[in-house]
Amino acid sequence: MDLHNVLDFPILSLSIFLPSLGALFIWLFVRGDDAVRWSALAVSVATFLVTLPLALQFDTTTAHMQFEEFHRWIPAFNINYQLGVDGISMPFILLTSLLTVICIISAWECIRTRVKEYMLAFLVLETTLIGVFSALDAVLFYFFWEAMLIPMYLIIGVWGGKNRVYATIKFFLYTLAGSVLMLVALLAMYFKAGHTFSMLDFMDYPFDFTWQFWIWIAFFIAFAVKVPMWPVHTWLPDAHTEAPTAGSVILAGILLKMGAYGFLRFSLPMLPDASQYFVPFVVALSLIAIIYISLVAMMQQDMKRLIAYSSIAHMGFVTLGTFMFTQPAVEGAIIGMISHGFVAAALFLCVGVMYDRLHTREIADYGGVVNVMPVFAAVMMVFCMANVALPGASAFIGEIMVLIGTFDASSVAQAQLGMVSSKWIAIGAATSVVLSACYTLWMYKRVIMGDLTKDTVKGMPDMNMREFGYFVPLIMLVVWLGLYPLPVLDVMHESVAHLIAQATTSKLDAAAALAQHMPVQQLAVH
Amino acid sequence: MANVTFPFPFPEHLIALLPEMVVAVMAMFLLLFDLFIPKERKVLTAWLATATAIVAGVASLQVMGAGTMVAFYGMFVLDPFAVFSKVLICAGTALGIILSIDYMKDEANVGEYYVLMLFAMLGMMLMVSANNFITMYLGLELMALSVYVLVGYQRDTLRSSEAALKYFILGSLSSGMLLYGVTFLYGVSGSFDFKLIGDALADGGGSARAATLLGLVFVVAGLAFKVSMAPFHMWTPDAYEGAPTPITAFMSVAPKVAGFVIFIRILVDALPAVQQEAEMILIWMAVLTMAIGNLAAIAQRNIKRMLAYSTIGHVGFVMLGLIAGTSEGYAGILVYLSIYLFMTMGAFAIIILMRREGIQGELLDDFAGLSRARPGYALAMGLLLFSLAGIPFLGGFWAKYAVFIAAVQAGHVYLVLYALLFSAVGAFYYIRVVKYIYFDEARVAFNFNDSAVMQATVVVMTLVIVMLGLYPDPLMGLCASAVAGLI
Repeated sequence: MDLHNVLDFPILSLSIFLPSLGALFIWLFVRGDDAVRWSALAVSVATFLVTLPLALQFDTTTAHMQFEEFHRWIPAFNINYQLGVDGISMPFILLTSLLTVICIISAWECIRTRVKEYMLAFLVLETTLIGVFSALDAVLFYFFWEAMLIPMYLIIGVWGGKNRVYATIKFFLYTLAGSVLMLVALLAMYFKAGHTFSMLDFMDYPFDFTWQFWIWIAFFIAFAVKVPMWPVHTWLPDAHTEAPTAGSVILAGILLKMGAYGFLRFSLPMLPDASQYFVPFVVALSLIAIIYISLVAMMQQDMKRLIAYSSIAHMGFVTLGTFMFTQPAVEGAIIGMISHGFVAAALFLCVGVMYDRLHTREIADYGGVVNVMPVFAAVMMVFCMANVALPGASAFIGEIMVLIGTFDASSVAQAQLGMVSSKWIAIGAATSVVLSACYTLWMYKRVIMGDLTKDTVKGMPDMNMREFGYFVPLIMLVVWLGLYPLPVLDVMHESVAHLIAQATTSKLDAAAALAQHMPVQQLAVH
Repeated sequence: MANVTFPFPFPEHLIALLPEMVVAVMAMFLLLFDLFIPKERKVLTAWLATATAIVAGVASLQVMGAGTMVAFYGMFVLDPFAVFSKVLICAGTALGIILSIDYMKDEANVGEYYVLMLFAMLGMMLMVSANNFITMYLGLELMALSVYVLVGYQRDTLRSSEAALKYFILGSLSSGMLLYGVTFLYGVSGSFDFKLIGDALADGGGSARAATLLGLVFVVAGLAFKVSMAPFHMWTPDAYEGAPTPITAFMSVAPKVAGFVIFIRILVDALPAVQQEAEMILIWMAVLTMAIGNLAAIAQRNIKRMLAYSTIGHVGFVMLGLIAGTSEGYAGILVYLSIYLFMTMGAFAIIILMRREGIQGELLDDFAGLSRARPGYALAMGLLLFSLAGIPFLGGFWAKYAVFIAAVQAGHVYLVLYALLFSAVGAFYYIRVVKYIYFDEARVAFNFNDSAVMQATVVVMTLVIVMLGLYPDPLMGLCASAVAGLI
């Protein structure tokens, strides 16, 4: 097997297992809350540094998988420990390792009980998340995808708010029930594609339409729950509201992206014909997410709930862009995800900063915060503007690219949409610009602006250096990505072009040819 | 033939039976030996019994040596399949005895208790080597009678006696049904030997097809009782709840191994002619078993009862391997049962520890706040529960994987879908226990005194589950080679 790895070093494995090994070390040898905090921070920073070469050494001229690793894991079922990243997955790995550092810093003071378990849960979570984005074997992918549930269940359940038990069990069961369908689909694909679980083989194998149809549905349920798409989004507001701040950050920043990443990695390249067939369905759900969920967001009294609904609306943009099969739309969707990773994370951190002082998330309990926390008000302003997708912020790039790509949708997508021109869809999606401004700025006005009328708010001290410290990199990234997104676009360009080629090339002819020439053993379904 | 040499003339047939003979002799020896041991040193009996179980397991491996042995004119067979199951049964019994040491410390006549466990083990070892309905019944009854007594061992408590009585009555009924089915098969084929029955019925029973099918139905029903498949599961929750906790652990593992192994043998050797009918019966029973096990477990407040229903649920998943009817399916069953053994024994070890001053420690509430008081046990129990729920990086995921992939290969995609949905339902009651352990505050103090043996058991079981979760390949290879010669 020819492995494409410029470093000749298992850097992906190191990125995956360094957090867990660090967690093991902390669990066994580190005593005392402060020592635990510092060592967890050291481990997460080290992991971030380890992931940096992925970006620095990345070859932007190819869509081939890079930094590949291959070891036989369970030969009986041809399951392999196969890793590799391309321009689509690599940015998410960096996003994960960066946000984990920020999560650990943000928990410094607000997590006072069971600090050690908290840090361990986050480090283990990081392992599973990086694993999801670097796995090239479907079972390995599923392995990390499901293992993620364990630390997340504990994070929400142990350190969450009042209603945490309900929220975390709902989160766990929703996600689990969604992903079991994916497992069935993977097992069926294993036999159909000739005893392989390699995701690259699945992309090459010509599944006929019936197969694509059912497998697509199974995948869709798994990914749609994770994204989440309307109408299976109801776990998210609960989970977000009850999760501790850092839990919300990782949930909005990374976990939601796993679903959209699934569409990009599984549905589109493996099942192109079914993906095209379902374009109207996905577009309809995305528009509902964009418009209806934005309206729902406007009515929220709880800041975290509001941002949670805003996340669903933004993810609607991502799914819309993904299923337009054009270069700008798909790249816009990915940029949108990365940007949302920064912006939503930062907004949750902002709420966290206020929550640490007043222990309430109700919008009505605040007002006039700018008078006592001017620096904080300015920081939050930046991220609110970014959430509105103001030009100059990263979200703008994502949204405008999705809109352009949708306006000028590919012929395959337009063919499926029939009489409805994709231009109308773009116009519908563009209402989000207005709606997101409404709910974000209205919240900002009610919380930050106005006169100081409440005594409790009067006593709020401004941010300390630690808090300010974790906003700085986020502000820099949001603005950098908003002004000069080219380096990131360069990274994904070849991979996205390759993906679009896969997604717009029908597998049906090859499937028919295969069925004619090679009537291989068929999997009888009773 | 085996490469075992003896300094004196030794009947060849007996070599195959050597492990069983060791157990039988040791069990009878211990029965006498125990009389001379003072009450405060009964632990010696327990350790001797453990040693016997371990020796029997090792001996099974050794005796087989190079190849398969058939002894007593086909009554008894020692093939890799039997040896693998014997090792599992011996491991289950040894762990059951180890878990009993602390739990049974204050009981009277504890020596016989360990001897009965050895006899139950002997019965199961005979059962998995049976190649003939007579041998099978012999082993089955030896096991069942010993376990009836063990369930009712705390005869001063009402619920233990009640459990034993229920189990005995229903168990006897099921044995009767099994024998009734065997008589049909004997009548049709003129033999008790699995292979000869299979040959005689090669044409599907011919003119006696109705009798063959009746035989199938009754044999399946009788065996279904023993492994608690629905609708023959009714005895399980009561017996599990009433039995001493180590016996509950023992019962939920070892007899299940023996039951499934003999099930496979009968289906493969004796009844291949009516495979389609058997498959149909098993599919509907599996559908029912998974639903009842996983749904009823949600309603339980007592963890022993909950795990009883959870066992029923797991039996439903294991049945997918039987339904697949391929060597992959049977290998999957062995993978499942091996992993299940470690998960269950670990979980029950912690449940046994929960019995502390004045409380039984069996209610879910009793687990509240464990993570604060004893973070190590909390972590172990959490991992074991997630493993039982089938979440990866833990062994339980591969257990499910192994049977599910076999069922998909055999074309039962819908059944696997159904099973996976119920495994998601099942996850609910496992993670609810995690909720008590991690999210709730303690209501009762955790002042239990745990011995080093229990600690070691918990640690080893948890480590095994994590290791199997990360690298299941060796176990899968072993299971695949164990079923290699079966079909």
